[in-house]
Formats: sequence, C-alpha cells, structure tokens
Amino acid sequence: MTVFHFLNCAALTFGPHVVYYSATPLSEYDTIGTCVKAAVVYLGTALVKLVCLATFLKVPENDKFDPYQELMKIFIGFIDVAGLYFALTQLTHRNISQNHKFQAVGLGWAFADSVLHRLAPLWIGARGLEFTWEYIFQGLEANANLVMTLSLAALGSLMWLRKNKPRTLVPIIYACALLLATMPSITSYLRRSLEWQTPRVVGFELFSSLAMAFISWQLFSACQRTM
Amino acid sequence: MSSPPSGDVLAVLLLLLLACVEFGDAAAAVGVYRLIQYDLAGAPLGSRAASLNHHAAALPLPAGADLSRSALIAPLLDLPLAFIREYLAEKKHMGGLLILLPEKLNVKDVTTNNDGKGQVRGALAELEKLLLHEEVPYPVYFAFQDDNFDNLLADIRKIASSGQPASATTGGYKLVVSSPEPRKVSSPTISNIQGWLPGLKEEGDTEQLQTIAIVANYDTFGAAPALSVGSDSNGSGAVALLEIARLFSRLYSNPKTRGKYNLLFGLTSGGPYNYNGTNKWLRSFDQRVRESIDYAICLNSIGSWNNELWMHVSKPPENPYIKQIFEDFSDVSKQMGVSVGIKHKKINVSNPRVAWEHEQFSRFRVTALTLSELASPPEFLESTGGLYDTRESADVESVTRTVRLVSESLARHIYGLKGRDIDVFAENSSLAINPHYIQSWLDLLSRTPRVAPFLQKNDPFIAALKKELSEHTADVHVQSDVLDGMFTFYDATKANLNVYQVASVTFDLLFLLVLGSYLIVLFSFLVITTRVWIISSLQLIDRIFASPAAENKSFLLLLNRVLMILLTYSGDLHHEKSRGLR
Repeated sequence: MTVFHFLNCAALTFGPHVVYYSATPLSEYDTIGTCVKAAVVYLGTALVKLVCLATFLKVPENDKFDPYQELMKIFIGFIDVAGLYFALTQLTHRNISQNHKFQAVGLGWAFADSVLHRLAPLWIGARGLEFTWEYIFQGLEANANLVMTLSLAALGSLMWLRKNKPRTLVPIIYACALLLATMPSITSYLRRSLEWQTPRVVGFELFSSLAMAFISWQLFSACQRTM
Repeated sequence: MSSPPSGDVLAVLLLLLLACVEFGDAAAAVGVYRLIQYDLAGAPLGSRAASLNHHAAALPLPAGADLSRSALIAPLLDLPLAFIREYLAEKKHMGGLLILLPEKLNVKDVTTNNDGKGQVRGALAELEKLLLHEEVPYPVYFAFQDDNFDNLLADIRKIASSGQPASATTGGYKLVVSSPEPRKVSSPTISNIQGWLPGLKEEGDTEQLQTIAIVANYDTFGAAPALSVGSDSNGSGAVALLEIARLFSRLYSNPKTRGKYNLLFGLTSGGPYNYNGTNKWLRSFDQRVRESIDYAICLNSIGSWNNELWMHVSKPPENPYIKQIFEDFSDVSKQMGVSVGIKHKKINVSNPRVAWEHEQFSRFRVTALTLSELASPPEFLESTGGLYDTRESADVESVTRTVRLVSESLARHIYGLKGRDIDVFAENSSLAINPHYIQSWLDLLSRTPRVAPFLQKNDPFIAALKKELSEHTADVHVQSDVLDGMFTFYDATKANLNVYQVASVTFDLLFLLVLGSYLIVLFSFLVITTRVWIISSLQLIDRIFASPAAENKSFLLLLNRVLMILLTYSGDLHHEKSRGLR
C-alpha cells in the first residue's frame, strides 16, 4: 500500500504539470522544446543559487529568524528572476506566440523545480510503511508553485517582451513581480518566525498563488486589450 | 532540440541511485529483548518465532477482537496472568506479545515502598515461571516502558474505543520486528575459570598439601537472555569469590603468612543446568588433585541478606568434618552479630536434578557446602538470574558481610586460630575488605547478561574474569566444554522494534478518488478556458455552410445555433480572450 501512496503523491505533485501541458494549446503547438530549455535554465540557475548561498550565508546556530540572512536570501532569490529573464528573452524559440511562450517557460521551470526539490524526498519517504501527511502537503505546495511560476512568467513576459504597456499599470506589474519573487522568503518567515504549522502555510501558499494568478491574469488581459 | 537534456539524465541517474537505497523511517524504533527459545530434552519451549509484522492492540480489548492477526502490547502490571494462561492452555494463536517492563525494576523510592517493590517482583517471577515452561508459538518480546510507549498505548486505546476498526485517516499502528529466523546455537560452550593459591610446602614435607576450594557459578538464565544480568544469582557469589581471592592473595604473597593449605578458586559456568559445568570441571581434574580437596565452599545468592545465612550440606550435620566447618562459621557469625543455620538435604543419585553446587562435589565424594541466603533449594531454572534480578536486588553490604564471614572462618581454619578473638581482616588494616572493589565488580556484572550458551569461549567478559583472577592467583586456566545435550538454545535474543503509524487502504483509495477528480476538473477547466479550436472550427463551419448549398442547410443551421449557445455558456471571457489572442 505504500507504493500506492507514493504513486498518489507523485500524481499530485507532477500530474498538474502534465495536465496543464496536455489541456492547453501548448501540446498542440508542440512547445515541449521550450519547456525542456526552460528546465535546463532552471537547473543552471539552481546551481548558481547554491554556490551563492554557500558563499554568502552563514550556518545558523539557532532557528531564529535573522533579518540580514533573510535579506541575503532574498537577493539570492532574485537570481531566479534573472534566470527567468534569460529563459524568456535570450533563448531562441520556435515561432510561438508570446502567450504560449510564457506558459511553456513557466511550465518547464515549475516542473524542473518540482523534480529537483520534491522527487527525491518522495521516493525515499513515501514508500515507507509510516504514514505522514508530509508528502501530500508537498504535492499541494508543488501545485501552488506551478501557479506562482506561471504568474511570474506572465509578468516577466509583460515586463521584458512587451514594449507598449499602459503607464498606470507598469508599477503594479513590477510590484506584483517583486511580491512573487520574494514569496519563498515570505513562507519561510511564516514558518520560522511566526511558527505556523505546515497545513496553514500550505493553505496560505495556495490562496496567495491563486490570488496572484488572478491579478496577473487581469494585468495580462488589460495589456492585451490595449493592443 | 539543440542542447542535450543533461538535467533529465542527472535526475534519472539520481533516481537509479536512490532506488538502491532503502531507508527505514518509523515513528519510533526501540530495542526489544526476546523471550528465550530453547529445547529441553527435545521438547520445544519458550517463544518459537522471532519476526513480527502485525497491527498493535492493547488491553482492554474491544469486544470480539481477534488477536491472531495483531500484536498485543501490555505493561507488566496490567497483564493478567490468567489471560495468558488461558491463551496458552487453549493453544490460541496471537500475532505477538510485547510486555512492557517498568523502567526501574525495584524502585526503592516509590512511595508505596515495599508494596510496589514486592508487587513488581512477584508479577515478574510468576510471568517468568509461566513463560519459561511453556511452548509459545508466537514471538514474545520485552521492552522497557517509557513515555513513548505510554503515548502509543493511549493512542491505540483511543482508536479502539472510537469504534472504528480502521478510520479513514489512521489505520492504526503496526509493529514490525524484522529479525532473521532463529538458529540453533551450534555448540554451546561452558567455560570454567580456575586459579590456585599454592600453600606453603616446607622442606622435608613429603605429603601433598590439602586444598580448600571456593567455588561460585557466574552464569545466569532467565526469560529474556539479553536482560539476564543476575546480580544476586549469582553475580554476588562471583564478586565475593573475587574479593576473597584478592584478600588471600595478599596473605599468601608473603611466605611468612602463607598457609599450609592450597586454595583453589573456581568460577564455574552451567549453573542453571544442574551445575553441569561444575561436574565437567571436577571430572577434568586428576584423581589425586580431587582427593586432596579437603572441603569446598560454594557461594550462591549471597547479595541480599541481613541477619541469616544458610549453610546447605548433603552429608549429615553430625559428620565431624561438617561439624567443624559449621563451628568455624558459627564462631565468626556470632562475633559479627548474624546467624548461620544449617540445612541438610540428602542427594538422590538417580535423580538428575542438582539443586545446589555442592551436590556435584558430593557426587565425587568431596566434602562440600553451599552458603546461600535462600533457605530452601530453588526449583529447576528458578533463582538463576531472571528478569527481576537487577542491580537493585543485590547490595554491597551483604556481599561484604559474606566475604568477612567466609574469609575469617577460612583464616581460622588455615592458621589454627580457634577460640581466639582475632580479626584477621580488620577494618582499616591492609587486609580490610574493599567495598569499592565489590561495588565496581557488582556494577559490571549487573550490566553484562551472562547466559552461558551465548557466551563464546573467547568472549571479552570471560577474558576479563580470567585476567582478574590471574591478578590474584596463579595457574589460571580456562576449561571449556560443551553443554550436555539435554539443552538446545536458539539465538536472536535482541531485536529492533519499529512502530509505524499506517493509513488504511480506504484512505489511499479515497485519496486516489479525490486526486483523480481534481485532475479531471483541472483538465476540463483548462480546456474550456484556453482551447480555441471550438471557435475556429465553428467559424469554419459557418463559412463553409454560409454558402447557399441546399439540402441539409436547416440542420446545419440548427447545429450552428446549438453550438453558439454552448459557446455563450462557456463565458464571455472566453470570447474576449479569443479575440485578444489573435
């Protein structure tokens, strides 16, 4: 029954990515190449981030929330944004519309993130006899992460790929992008400082990802409409 | 694809590597000790199985509970013996039994004081007696009770009492002990350690010097061989022997104080099995050496007595030798303020049961006696260092008293100091009895389980005893032999118990259902909000059939209208977006 649980959790963690790919026109336009390229860029970004973290961060003696360390982590988190920028703008894609581009990049990015961070614990942990809610929460987090990455990719494409944006919306776009980029730090702050339990944190992540997705969607449509 | 997907290859390699690693993660992993498994003259006894993989159950059992597929966890004092007896008598099967022993077996600072102590000890003794002499076809383990187990029991009882056999979220707890199949211990060895203190043989003395032997068995036997430390039976005897050896080696080191008797010290093994080891040890002696033994003092369970010690003999007390020895003891005991009583038990040569060690000497026609705090001979496999016989059941004062009694009496006999009020081993002298020595050896023995079949010839503990004896005596020799065929022992005495909290199958299926519906809903949502082919195809249909081609125009118009209605239902957003995406 434990392999069963593993398969369940794996489906929860990776299923939405597959479903997203097959349900939207991405599969039709065969954008798998873009997804794979984005995944590779993500791996490179993760490597750079790790090196920076190892260089600049001290090993914490206690579990307290250290503001300077967290600020450093936020800055290193911006490497993520840089990576997305690279994936969206610098890579050559086949002739696909902008709309599909950000979706494909976001999907590839989120899939690589899930695989790198969640597959190994899942494989080792979920197959044991012991039952914990941990892997189910991890799967829900992966879902939230997917939505957030897609939103960030959308805002990124708005910022860097679209030249004429309505003046009033520009600061909002940048603000939302900043918020999304610092989301990991926010969740770790909630977990460590405010000592929120995992269910609450996961709930917050899901809610905030949906909210951000809605906002970025509205922004995107607004920009579309002005075209 | 221009660039090779190196990230994917890495992920695959990682997967392959991790597939080879199996991690064990459990809510709790704790060391448990198995009930002994042995055959006595072919009859299987003790726990006959070692591996365990069942759901946990606790007392009080819900009505109609079937224990044959669950493992029962019970604290010692909550376990009614009648229950076990009934199970064993009716040969009912249980998945397994885990008995939780109180952490400190003889807690001296318990407020109910003597009651608490006696109750635990009594319950343990009875349980041990029951389990040792029965064949139990399922695994029986002992563990020490602590907070984790208390919480576990509370949880199990809560789940059982809520009436749901296996609720959707918690299917309960599973106890898993993965232990290999217990194998026979191939040739169980018993190792007897002996040391000599040669007496003073003057020039011109042609006769062989007489020998006085001091013997104690150091091995134990109990329900859980990994817990059989036997502090009182017979750790106390072994420690007393070591101290007596130390004292007399000081006396004998100087030729001026060397007595005219040889002293032979013997740490024997195989005690619980009718003193089999002692028999083999005596048999290994040359006849002349054996005949030169004047008498032997055997020490057995001398660790917890206050005022009364017993001297057990097999020759009648009227026998002049016995009388003399008893007088020696009485004189010293009167001086010490304790009393020594004499008990006579005739040997029945045809009966293989040997209750005291001196009986083995008597069978070789050597005068011998056993000093013990026990008034009556112990039953077979009783008082051999069971579960309750831990460090707290022996105290240093009793051992010291015994050492004083034996050494003073021996000194009077050897040096002919009858009737004189002399304290050879006086306090604050260089020959004072050392309580720290006694304490440290007693502590060591109370940490070492010493069931003979599980002590190899080259066990470090036997080497330690040999080394200690060689510090005090000469000619130290370890005689190893095989335990006679009546007993067969099986290994796997210790194991690791893993307690897993498991979810029931219904939970997994339910989760699958929820997950499936979530993915389907997600799929449909995405299809409806992003696919534009409906629009394009409809518009295509529109264009094709807008031309006045005759026949099925009305039908097509109807179809067109239906599709348009469906479209409006999928939302205006959809239209907006489709227009925007162009």
